[in-house]
Amino acid sequence: MALPKPQKVLTLSESSYLVEVLKGMVLTMGHLIKNIFDQDRFRTIEYPDVRKPMTARYRGAHRLLLRPDGGLKCVACMCCPTVCPAKCINIVAGEAENDPAEKFPITFDIDMLRCIYCGFCVEACPKDAIRMDTKIYEINAYTRSDMVHSKAYMVNLMDGLKPEAGAAYRAEQGLAPDGYTNADSAPEGSPR
Amino acid sequence: MPKVKINDVEIEVPAGTNMIEAAKLAGFDIPHYCYHPHLSIAGNCRMCMCEAETPRGPVLDIACNMQAREGLAIRTESDKVKAVRKSVMEFLLVNHPLDCPICDQSGECRLQDYYMDHGQYDSRGIEAKVGKHKRQDIGDLIVLDAERCVQCSRCVRFGDEVTGTGDLRLMNRGDHTEIGMFPGTRLEHDYQGNLADICPVGALTNKDFRFERRVWYLRETDSVCTGCSTSCNTKVCHQEGEVFRTLPRRNDDVNRSWMCDPGRQCNSGVGSLDRILRPTVDGVAVPDAFETLAARIKAAGAGRTGFVMGSGASLEANWALLQVVKANCPGAKVFSVAGNNAGAIAKSDGLLMDADKNPNSAGVALLAAWFGGIGGAEDLRAADLSLLVVLEDDIITRLGGNPAEAIAYFGTHNNPTAELASIVIPVAHVVEMDATYVNRQERVQRVRRATNPQGEAVPAYQALEKLGAALGRAPGTSMPTATFSAMARAVPRMNGLDYKALGASGRLLAPTVQPVAPAAPVAEAK
Ligand code: SF4
Ligand code: SF4
Ligand code: SF4
Ligand code: SF4
Ligand code: FES
Repeated sequence: MALPKPQKVLTLSESSYLVEVLKGMVLTMGHLIKNIFDQDRFRTIEYPDVRKPMTARYRGAHRLLLRPDGGLKCVACMCCPTVCPAKCINIVAGEAENDPAEKFPITFDIDMLRCIYCGFCVEACPKDAIRMDTKIYEINAYTRSDMVHSKAYMVNLMDGLKPEAGAAYRAEQGLAPDGYTNADSAPEGSPR
Repeated sequence: MPKVKINDVEIEVPAGTNMIEAAKLAGFDIPHYCYHPHLSIAGNCRMCMCEAETPRGPVLDIACNMQAREGLAIRTESDKVKAVRKSVMEFLLVNHPLDCPICDQSGECRLQDYYMDHGQYDSRGIEAKVGKHKRQDIGDLIVLDAERCVQCSRCVRFGDEVTGTGDLRLMNRGDHTEIGMFPGTRLEHDYQGNLADICPVGALTNKDFRFERRVWYLRETDSVCTGCSTSCNTKVCHQEGEVFRTLPRRNDDVNRSWMCDPGRQCNSGVGSLDRILRPTVDGVAVPDAFETLAARIKAAGAGRTGFVMGSGASLEANWALLQVVKANCPGAKVFSVAGNNAGAIAKSDGLLMDADKNPNSAGVALLAAWFGGIGGAEDLRAADLSLLVVLEDDIITRLGGNPAEAIAYFGTHNNPTAELASIVIPVAHVVEMDATYVNRQERVQRVRRATNPQGEAVPAYQALEKLGAALGRAPGTSMPTATFSAMARAVPRMNGLDYKALGASGRLLAPTVQPVAPAAPVAEAK
């Protein structure tokens, strides 16, 4: 076990206190003046009015995608609950009577308290039905049950349910208009 | 027995064994779609191709149609064979819809498995796939998706050879070949579930199981069907204490690979609202009903107490009942009442279904013969009883009336008897315990515990152990193995049977010793 180093013996100027305080003030004032004249190097941002741009690969809250005809892309294949290491995806599958897709998720819940944001569900999905590209990181609620994101919530996630996902935010982030995050998934004349 | 050589492994197999089975014995798996051990050989999928050595040199041929004969040598893993398999897979998948995300077969599909093992090619398809009819409702239990079919004709042969209904047919030619029914017809037989089982792909799927659960979540436990006295061997597929489906398990001596549709429902009531979950005395739930029951048996006196053996209960439970009677109330009468419970449809056909809808009638008969002096329905009606202890059988329906002043019922589900009973004790369902049943061939077969008992139920033999303890002398039947050994020692026809050695396919009881008939006087010849 390493012994603690003996305390450094202070020089006279250090032990007289005032000199060191002045040195500190000079440093602080220097930054203040530099920042006043060169505001671009500001490190602090005015959250939540201003947000840091997230990298493209940032994994935020999950959303569920829709087909061009408005139906859910998800067919409840159960690949994502199977691969999910946190076992936090809960799907009840059912028969879609008038839909050629035949199968759909009656309920699709993700318990965000248990999710570890690994993104395996996105990787596993054979239908590109689930993505984590919302860049939403404020995943919070007042109750545990509200931390379970439901199908409806995840479908509408980019439609203003979360204020930070609103139109202004989308414009600022260079994202697709209402209803779609990415231009490539926003088909012409879609009902939504 | 001819000696054959498979990939240089020499093995002796019974004459006439086809090479898929022979290879299995030698430890090689030959992929196949159309071959099924209990159907005729069609030889149309070509997946089982292997190389046979002939005087002309190696020749490609299908293993399913190659019968073992002395000196036959095949190779199942040569480069040529592998190339053929790959090509066969490519042909089969040319028009395949790749519905895997919505296909119930996914996870137990031979197209998926063999593609991973033998396919793995890059698609060369540039033309549009041939579309066929999807999601057709062709029977009470079956949904047909013709696009997923690989034209193996197993279902066609099942209809022709097993049920004799000849309902499914392959129609049209070439890549327009499509499996289907004759216009305006539906599957009418009672063995539809087997079609979904034998279809190697997801073309025929079971409506009952449709979209219920992905198969890779399910655990399988060997069991037997309690739907009738045939006791087809089954696999119970369950996840986290919930039973999702019951499939037939191969036993060539009992049910081959099949089971009937009503039988598939035999475990559907495991978690039903009808289950008896708590012991009740006079309609009030109590923590422990055994003391009360023992007190009432003592109050009634051995002479006016009756016990009814259960043809729906396990061999162990019936043994426990007899031991309780023997040790604690030697004067009490024991009965066994033939018949079916409320709601049972006593249908019988030449195939598997039997009109006796009890899984253990033969077991009850066996123990009754050993115990002696067991009364039947008439004796029970005539007996003047103040308390009748009933093991699992729905005695009210069978007798058409209440034979005693009070009934104590050990049972799994609510039924007319449970409704009338003053004491009700919950017992475990067949999938919730280890036990044995004797089918109508007198084959002793094991069931195994798949899930935990619901509510406060315990296996009936353990419940009877507790009753015995409350009465003064416990029968020692808390463990199925020890109980079985005790039976095997005591009952002459069970001598030599061993619980563990019953294995997956069960063992027959020793034949009854027929009293030797006096020789008839021989008539003068000619
Ligand atoms: S990100 Fe990972 S932990 Fe979260 S739901 Fe998806 S698979 Fe599960
Ligand atoms: S993997 Fe995709 S299609 Fe499958 S259940 Fe999950 S979200 Fe739905
Ligand atoms: S039959 Fe097999 S390969 Fe075809 S869709 Fe179903 S699971 Fe997939
Ligand atoms: S439906 Fe299934 S069993 Fe029938 S021919 Fe097609 S693949 Fe074979
Ligand atoms: S299994 Fe031999 S040809 Fe199909």
